[in-house]
Amino acid sequence: MSAPATRFDTLSEWSDRHFKWLLVAPAVLLILALSVYPLLFSVWVLFVNYDFTVPGHGFVGLRNFTRVLADPVARWSLWVTVLLSTINVAIEFLLGLALALAMVKNFRGRGLIMSLLIIPLFISPVIVGQAWALLLQRPFGPTNYVLSQILGFEVTIGWLTQAPWNFIALVLADVWQWTPFMFVILLAGLTAIPPNLYEAAELDGVDGWRAFWWITLPQLGPMIMLAITFRILDAVRLFDTIFVMTGGGPGTNTYSSSFYLYTLGFTQFHLSEATAGAWMFLVITAILITFLVRRLLKAEPT
Amino acid sequence: MTKGLFTRANIARTLLLGFFLLFTFAPLYWMFITSIKPSDDYLAVPPVWFPAEPTMLHYTAALFAYRGLDGLINSVIISAAATLLSTVLGTLMAYSLARFNTGGQHLSFWVLSQRFLPPIAIVLPIFLIYRAVGLHDTHLGLIIAYTVFTLPVTVWMMFAYFRQMPKSLEEAALVDGCTRWQSLWRVAIPLAMPGIVAAAVFAFIACWTEFFFALILTSQTAFTLPTVFRAFLGFQGAQYGEASALAMVSLVPSIILGILAQRHLVRGLTLGAVRG
Repeated sequence: MSAPATRFDTLSEWSDRHFKWLLVAPAVLLILALSVYPLLFSVWVLFVNYDFTVPGHGFVGLRNFTRVLADPVARWSLWVTVLLSTINVAIEFLLGLALALAMVKNFRGRGLIMSLLIIPLFISPVIVGQAWALLLQRPFGPTNYVLSQILGFEVTIGWLTQAPWNFIALVLADVWQWTPFMFVILLAGLTAIPPNLYEAAELDGVDGWRAFWWITLPQLGPMIMLAITFRILDAVRLFDTIFVMTGGGPGTNTYSSSFYLYTLGFTQFHLSEATAGAWMFLVITAILITFLVRRLLKAEPT
Repeated sequence: MTKGLFTRANIARTLLLGFFLLFTFAPLYWMFITSIKPSDDYLAVPPVWFPAEPTMLHYTAALFAYRGLDGLINSVIISAAATLLSTVLGTLMAYSLARFNTGGQHLSFWVLSQRFLPPIAIVLPIFLIYRAVGLHDTHLGLIIAYTVFTLPVTVWMMFAYFRQMPKSLEEAALVDGCTRWQSLWRVAIPLAMPGIVAAAVFAFIACWTEFFFALILTSQTAFTLPTVFRAFLGFQGAQYGEASALAMVSLVPSIILGILAQRHLVRGLTLGAVRG
């Protein structure tokens, strides 16, 4: 470089030297501003009284935590969250695996069926909840009528208002939306299993269920871990379908943790207590993430 | 391979797929029928499976009387702007992570961890901060929130994409006297375009279908399409048609986009961990 350096050259040389940091800076700053800073800010909220029904922000120590811990609805909602996410993810996994096995070989119309099966993934959970509410709701929905015709006696289930049917309704909506998620990932895993494994096994007289048990499942292992991990981490957020379908009801019967914290903060306006509850929920989720992601990284051969 | 068409495996497969397709389409069909069904047919026994006189009344009511059109316009503006921001910033960051290993594993995993934070933990303080700085119920506020909320997926999708893209062409450009910026802008970005488009589509769908942030961070001005459904809750049955009509308006665009991008679906769902 024999030409005299102009100011522009210096600038472009500087930007070239710090190229890699300049590229990440905007995204990192944005995440810091809207995720890390709010979390830090909320640490202050934890120990004061931030409540729209009470003026001022006086220091209250640990009262926000003790109030949430003493609230039976908080414990119930955590139990509902654990129960529903376990049932949802288990059913979605089994159904998704069955569908993936059914779709792994090529047949006529496979492409079309593939496109149809993934449709629920692109619909807002609010609309999914709305659609199932329409289908199940008494007396408008056709579900009770169809069941009455099939079973031969009058069925009058309040699907959205009676336990345990309200839980079954929530599970139906979740399974409807997220089974395709499991299906798509497991299908990708199945397609990646080298076919010569099966050919070799067939020569040894191993086929059918035994081939599934000794070849398919172990080969699919890391992918199963991945699909279940991702799904659990989303399943524990459960909120939208409850908001639309049961409104948490009857009473507080179908409160999930997210729904409980939402009502605590935004319909009762106890924002500090809700923040304290949200932090406890965050810690539980973080433990879950650490545990699951560790196992995931161990299972992954790469 | 001379197995017949009616093997047990074939029958099982047909039954399973048949039942599951029925399960998938029953709610969608009933919702569509409800959206074009005159209100008088709502409570008929047996149920009206197809209305004799379809009506578009619910669509006009949902769009105009219930401000569905305003929600639709807001959704388009907010989703498009957030998608653009998230795609541009996410692609730049992913390029740096993939080519220079910027910040080592820590930075990339920190971004990934953002994807799994429970929204309720973030949204409470954001709500308080937004009220304090005047971003509550503004388009800008929700655009920024959605950009941050879609960034982890965009970054990780593009991270995986750049890593499996050979860097020899970019290196050749550098040897030919291009600056780093030129090799990014003229070589890497055009080559990565299919991946960038796919990442943008998934970011758009995520914003388009999002409910929780919109519920808390907006009210009368910047409300998005999914939040309009609040108006139909709790009124036993009076607005079934309107709710269904609005749902149809909302789900058609995202389904079309999703099916167009389905080749990239596996990468999108697993944040690039699995190549479809």
